[in-house]
Amino acid sequence: MRGALELTRRMPLIVPVLLGVLLFAANLIVIPQFVSSGQLSPTLGTLAPFALAGMASTPAFLSGGGGIDLSIAPLMGFINIVLVTGLLGTPFGTPILAIPILLAIGAAIGAINGLLISRLRYPPVIATLGMFFVLSGLDLELAPNPVTISGGWTSHLAGTVGPVPGAVLTVGAPLLLWFALRRTAYADTLLAVGDHDATAFSTGVQVDRVRISAYALGGIVAALGGIALTGLIQSADAQTFQTYILLALAAVALGGSNLAGGRGGLLASALGAVCIFLLNNLLGALHVSSQLIQVAYGGALLLAIVVGALVFTASPLQE
Amino acid sequence: MATTAPATPQPSVSSPRQSSTVLRFVAGLPVLQIVALVVLFVVTAVTVSGFLSKSSLYSVLVLAAFLGIAAAGQTVVILIGGIDLSVPSLIGAANLVTPALCARHWPAGLVILFVLSCGGLVGAVNGYLINRLSVSPLIVTLSTGAMVIGGGLAWTNNGFSAASVPTWLTTFSSPTGHFLGIAIPPVLVLWVLLAVAVGVVLRHTVTGHHTYATGANRRAADLAGVRTRRIWIGAFAFSGLSSATVGVLLTGFIGSASVGIGDPYLFTSLAAVLVGGTSLVGARGDYWRTVLGALILTLITTLLIGHGASTAVQEIVFGLLIMLFVGLYGRERRLRDRV
Repeated sequence: MRGALELTRRMPLIVPVLLGVLLFAANLIVIPQFVSSGQLSPTLGTLAPFALAGMASTPAFLSGGGGIDLSIAPLMGFINIVLVTGLLGTPFGTPILAIPILLAIGAAIGAINGLLISRLRYPPVIATLGMFFVLSGLDLELAPNPVTISGGWTSHLAGTVGPVPGAVLTVGAPLLLWFALRRTAYADTLLAVGDHDATAFSTGVQVDRVRISAYALGGIVAALGGIALTGLIQSADAQTFQTYILLALAAVALGGSNLAGGRGGLLASALGAVCIFLLNNLLGALHVSSQLIQVAYGGALLLAIVVGALVFTASPLQE
Repeated sequence: MATTAPATPQPSVSSPRQSSTVLRFVAGLPVLQIVALVVLFVVTAVTVSGFLSKSSLYSVLVLAAFLGIAAAGQTVVILIGGIDLSVPSLIGAANLVTPALCARHWPAGLVILFVLSCGGLVGAVNGYLINRLSVSPLIVTLSTGAMVIGGGLAWTNNGFSAASVPTWLTTFSSPTGHFLGIAIPPVLVLWVLLAVAVGVVLRHTVTGHHTYATGANRRAADLAGVRTRRIWIGAFAFSGLSSATVGVLLTGFIGSASVGIGDPYLFTSLAAVLVGGTSLVGARGDYWRTVLGALILTLITTLLIGHGASTAVQEIVFGLLIMLFVGLYGRERRLRDRV
């Protein structure tokens, strides 16, 4: 037992990986056709928005100071609606133009959150909850009724782009970005700020800038999530994002990142999202009602918090 | 030289002391909130026709009472340095379960007792988990909230199961209801009683002082002999109880179960507390300020609806206004002051 605890502390990713393997096996037993080759791309296409929502919520948590970004899900909805109602069908609707525009919007909205939090010293809950309402209001205003699209480049993202499943690109891009950041001083600085902001400040770290960039990074990943969501649902819808509010947070917690900052990463959240996706898939196949799946999400999130607290608060470093 | 004898200034000693007490009282008054309330009231009265009629004033006050009661628990939770995001889910679940139980011919008293104790219990679990494991109140209350509302929806088949609302509950929550034969909505009476009770408990009892001590510094309070875990459990239990109360009252108000009825209260319950001037840092503020906050927010909504704003515009304006108010009050300390 003690050995297992020690191992978990050294390699926190082992928990979501083991949980994912278990859930994958359970899925195989219940739905044997789960792994048939034709299923792979659509399955990954459904998984992508889950994973991106989880990853997008991560930098805010990592930056500490009570950091949380509740506006990730409505931002995904906003990007989805801007893409469908504002860009597709116009000269800006080509992927080469649309994707950078949307990523810039995501980064800007994230940066506004970051500015409110670090420069204007708003509590992160309030700043991002305010943004949540502004964005969900805008979503409703821009798309009071769902607008459907058919075909186009977005549909490939939920299927295949050439031989590659589209989800590999959408989920792979932020992971590559994160691994690149891990090789620079930025990721370490972010974790240092999250671990103890006052200490980081004393050693000369520009805490404000680090926090603003963390929220902007979350915004960029959320924008990718909005694009992947468009590929999946092939419409603009002001309601769909509701699904992702809770599970974005649950993915971070299940992945094993410290929600108080200082420890964790985007890969962990992606693994957490895979676990949630597999759980969702399994419960769906067992004909569990969507309301009870909601209960399961809540339970998974609570369990992740409780287990995380039990494993990590007894760590020798903190004693 | 003789004129500066010590005897001469003697009588004036008490008067500066008195005036400083008065000054301190005035300085402690939520002046900005009172001014905002008056201005909003005047603007609404001038621009929204029919606002000053008795029935419309009562409607606004009853809506403010729902918000004020929901925010009572939130106030206490924020005073100890926590936050409760399970408020909308508990309101929603209580609203779903109450008519369903009434339809199963449970006696009304038992239904109320059951629903309110469930709310209190969920809150107590929140408080225990957060305090025992030192985890984020945001995440714990969000997840228990999701479980409660999911469970409520599943049990009542998305609110489509048989439902009945007893007439007395409808009367109790109605703006045209009577209390002891007087034409005052009973919900308002309940809110006033609650406000007095919470105000007195917070300011003038040992429990109240322990609550502020816990919010100011949990560790110091612990060492001073305050049972801080009990305070945490109690505060969250009270929040669960007040949310469930609003769920029951709203059932009477709209006369049925309605999916999503609690959702607006996530933001508004927080906003009422923060607009009132209670700080998210903990230990600063009281329930009277929240009462003002609830009145201000309800007037803003009335004004927006009175001018024909769509739900979307209401959400946007509301979000921006809250940011403005919180910007004046609920901000955190500068990092360079914390080094």
